[in-house]
Amino acid sequence: MSGASVARAVFAKDLLLDFRTRDRLGHMAVFALLVVALLSIAVPASADERRAWSPALLWMVLLFASLLGLARSFQSEAEGGALALLVQAPVDRGWVFLGKAAANALALFGVALWTAVLFTVFLDVDWSEAWRPALAAGALGALGLAALGTLLAAMSVAVRFREFLLPVLLFPLVLPVLVLASSITGAALAGRPVPGLWWGVFALYDWVFVVLGYLVFDYVLED
Amino acid sequence: MSAVELRGVGKDYGPVRALHEISLALDAGLLVWLAGANGAGKSTLLRVLGSLTRPTRGSVSLFGVDPFRAACAAVRGRVGFLGQEASLYGELSVAENLHFCARLRGVAEPELEPIAAELELEPVLHQRVRTLSQGYRRRAGLARALLGSPSLLLLDEPWNGLDAAAGERLTRLLVRKRDGGAVVLVAAHEASGPLPRFDRTLRLEGGSLSAEGAAA
Repeated sequence: MSGASVARAVFAKDLLLDFRTRDRLGHMAVFALLVVALLSIAVPASADERRAWSPALLWMVLLFASLLGLARSFQSEAEGGALALLVQAPVDRGWVFLGKAAANALALFGVALWTAVLFTVFLDVDWSEAWRPALAAGALGALGLAALGTLLAAMSVAVRFREFLLPVLLFPLVLPVLVLASSITGAALAGRPVPGLWWGVFALYDWVFVVLGYLVFDYVLED
Repeated sequence: MSAVELRGVGKDYGPVRALHEISLALDAGLLVWLAGANGAGKSTLLRVLGSLTRPTRGSVSLFGVDPFRAACAAVRGRVGFLGQEASLYGELSVAENLHFCARLRGVAEPELEPIAAELELEPVLHQRVRTLSQGYRRRAGLARALLGSPSLLLLDEPWNGLDAAAGERLTRLLVRKRDGGAVVLVAAHEASGPLPRFDRTLRLEGGSLSAEGAAA
């Protein structure tokens, strides 16, 4: 029994549940739609101002939308007592974390793409010259949010005030992801080159939390 | 070497002492009744043995290794656990749940059909678990626990929700597992209905092992 096959099984199961129930993805997508529609009214109408505001707003929308999804990422386990299955997996439980974090990262990346489309429709953001760095920032941002969010969601799954606890724990830790992702997106939209250091720091931050999650998940899953 | 060995195991939940100084050894091929009133610590003891709950004190050894050490995680594949819930995903069908559990435990797919047949799950195999009756849900949970022919079977009130015929089939199945060399530890209280003849009885009172009998 290899850890990688357990991670793949957890990843495939989470995707199947996401596509079957559509709860998580649907809630995140509708939330993003409503907020971006409201922003299109509230944000100044000039193209320059919209371009300046859009990167930060896009990542704020994504952060709040991701909270909805991350808070529910262990709900299917909590409801039927299925957490016991994951705890009993006959491998290092870090592999379970990798499977769940990968499924969360893919879901959040999908929501990031959807939000980018919404920004084009409602706020006239033009991605044609910026799509490559923006896509890479979206992937790194989704991975960072997913790694941190999966770990913290697992820690708060049995807590009474988990809807409150998750953002309180997540927001301070996710700040570097938010700053780096919006800075890179802003530079890309403005046609400026993105410094290599930003990519390096972003990838390192993600990597630290993926490794940390892998190492501590064994203890997090046990009650 | 005993198949299952606990030495001075205790479990606290904050100020509540759920288990206190439990020491026991169980050899292979035993059908054991874990008796006790509600709140005596039966479920907690099963969760400790199933490596779901780390004990606060003492040591646990399953087949000679500590199941809580990441390096010895493979031993968890030799343990089948059924708690008070079926531990299945409600939005997946019974077959999808069993396939997922098989992949999680590294069990070959051909093992699924005989287990489903043994527990008469064929009519509901492709139904989502959330639509099943309590009895079928319990049977699906049992099928999940039996995957991989575990050497240690931990069952918490397994007869709950089963009708008389299904209960008798389960009893015969547990005896067969015992005869095949497995340790079968069943938590049940006296009100659970007619229980099989056990090889040993462990009685818990207030989190402590109060008595042990050779047969019941």
